[in-house]
Amino acid sequence: MASTNTPFVCLRCARSISSQQSRQAIRTFATATNQDRRSRTTAPSEPPEQLPRWKQTPQAMKMPFRLREEPKQPVWKVNTREEPLNDMYDRFIGRAGEVLKGQGESTRGRDLLPEEVKWLAVTHKSFDHGRRGFNDRLAFLGKRIVDLQTSMALLNAPSTPGMVPSSQDVYQHAALEGLENITAFSKNAVLERTRLAKLASTYGIDKVVRWRPKKSDNLKGSGIDTVLAHTMYSIVGALALQRGGEVAAKTVRERILRPLGLR
Amino acid sequence: MKFWAIRRRSSPFHSPYLLLAVAGVTDEAHTPGPMGESTAASSEPPVTSTPATLSLFERDKIDSSTGTPTTKLSAQVEDVEDEAPIQSQSEPQEQQQRPLNAPSHRRALKSAKLSALHARLSLPSKLPLQTLARCLVDPSVDSRQGYNNEPLALLGQELLGYYTSEWLLCRYPRLPVPVLFAAQYAYVGSQTLGAMRSEWGVETVAAPGPEVDPGLLQLKRVLPGNAMVEGEMMRVKDMPQARRLGSGRRNEQWNYRRGMSSRIVYDDQFGDLQTGLSTEDQPPFPGAPISTTDGNTYPLEGVDQEQNSQPGSFLPREQSEREVESTTVEAASASFVRALAGALYLHAGSAATKTFHKDHVLSRHLPLHTLFNFTHPTRDFSRLCAREGFEPPVARLISETGRLSRTPVFVVGVFSGEDKLGEGAGSSLNEGRVRAAAAALRSWYLYSPPESEIMLPSEVEGGGADKMAWKPQMVDIGEIVT
Repeated sequence: MASTNTPFVCLRCARSISSQQSRQAIRTFATATNQDRRSRTTAPSEPPEQLPRWKQTPQAMKMPFRLREEPKQPVWKVNTREEPLNDMYDRFIGRAGEVLKGQGESTRGRDLLPEEVKWLAVTHKSFDHGRRGFNDRLAFLGKRIVDLQTSMALLNAPSTPGMVPSSQDVYQHAALEGLENITAFSKNAVLERTRLAKLASTYGIDKVVRWRPKKSDNLKGSGIDTVLAHTMYSIVGALALQRGGEVAAKTVRERILRPLGLR
Repeated sequence: MKFWAIRRRSSPFHSPYLLLAVAGVTDEAHTPGPMGESTAASSEPPVTSTPATLSLFERDKIDSSTGTPTTKLSAQVEDVEDEAPIQSQSEPQEQQQRPLNAPSHRRALKSAKLSALHARLSLPSKLPLQTLARCLVDPSVDSRQGYNNEPLALLGQELLGYYTSEWLLCRYPRLPVPVLFAAQYAYVGSQTLGAMRSEWGVETVAAPGPEVDPGLLQLKRVLPGNAMVEGEMMRVKDMPQARRLGSGRRNEQWNYRRGMSSRIVYDDQFGDLQTGLSTEDQPPFPGAPISTTDGNTYPLEGVDQEQNSQPGSFLPREQSEREVESTTVEAASASFVRALAGALYLHAGSAATKTFHKDHVLSRHLPLHTLFNFTHPTRDFSRLCAREGFEPPVARLISETGRLSRTPVFVVGVFSGEDKLGEGAGSSLNEGRVRAAAAALRSWYLYSPPESEIMLPSEVEGGGADKMAWKPQMVDIGEIVT
């Protein structure tokens, strides 16, 4: 065979080269980091029907048809409108954002976080199989903040007379006052899951959290308490990352611990 | 993909429900060492029952509330006068009936080991030696409130955990949750803090007691799992009751509905099951009163009635009847380091605690890329590209050598369009492809923002006039769910 000068290209490579010319990547690998104060900047060449990430599941991850049959339970729907979500943030954060006053921006709850983070913070891993993101990392940080603020609030709480050791064998110092209030029992009593879930319901978090219960007719058995506590932690974590530790700590103190009885 | 943590030894074996007649010393402890020596010159006689005789034997008494030394005679007179009218007759007897199992805080100022430790760690002078001595006493030595480091350790654990978690999340915003748990453990887990204790040169006692040097870590050691149970032919670890109880989860069956997400709410900061939490109601302290229909308050049933004979009494029951849990050296060491962090916060403030954390915890090096463990990296990487909207990944052979020999090497790269996202070498084509996908996933998850953009949330905490402008940190949507 007479050899030609064209190099050999395997079939797979040839396909991908041809598809490159016909299709454009929606986003390149090197995405911009969160430099902008409000939200990530979107590429200018994006088609107008491109919805934000939290609004639609990525096209390439979807199955063309459903393999398993639909479960025999009521259809589960979550909130998709922005207004109830913003109302919840206003109710939950309240005036805790006012530490940021003087920076020339609105300090309402709904204005403290960018839109994507607001939706991410209320999205549980069970929602859409985790394809639209979830709030686990935010909840991890938020729980650390809540735990610490609980201990600090317990330090200032009044102590039961029987708990304070008055013996001479115990070293007394002004800095150690209230230390005996911190016990594993008292911390768990304050941050009990059912109490946190009830508090979350009063703020309306259960109406806007995006999750998928195992049994849509038995939310308690599907773990709604855990999901609500998880969501409260994740909102605190989101505030910490996007607005700093002061706002997050104030939110915990005033909007979580104070309603639970700790000043 | 499933992530596994780095190889960790199993958690300290707790056996609170085993009533063992602990001999107190094991074979290891018999070796003579610097611990447990009784310095005859400075030791006090054991505490006797009345407060008057206690004060008679004291030397260099320090007025504990103000920290100034008082003269011996006046102090004794004051003590006797103060104590008699305020306390009821039964209480000092109850407390003095149980002698101190650890050195008194008055000996802290005289201990060379303690002062040397304070200086060696460059602790601020605001932290008194007496508190440092309290940090070295584990609850297994003396479970009464005020005599051990338990509340300090709880506070310190949360402080260290918070500082570590914010550092990890701001520096590696895309870290998957299992790896985050593992990294958290690697920085402030029990094993690391135990190693830190020995690096600091803090030694443990053979057995706790009031005569030991206050500068030693005091704990009551648990019987090793390999030891034989007395009266049985089984080892401790094989006893049927050896289950971890009290995790706070609704169902105690092993790993019942226990995934990664629920660990954040239910379990501790490392994703491990908690111990010591009971699902049934327990009184906050023994002898806690409850209200009844007739308007009086009585202590809970099962409590020794003679101790709390008066209705409405809030005095805690003498806790000597409660089983004193023994611990491992690792757990006690971790408690000490955590208690030190808590004590630093209370005495010297958050700045000192942050410095402590930075100097001792963050200075340790952890190769994060070794914490990953992928089961199907090619599948996960394909899902990642689909989610992010990249071109579907293609693996291409970059170079190879020795294909027909015994030791071939294939260098494979995974490409998304024109960009090479990962590269791996393997002894087969498939291995190279899999390694390349794993490398690509690691490079995605270990992304770190530029140093100038990183700010920790605790840096702007505390208010004050010196508030820097906060830079919003990157929030990633989450890892690929497998």
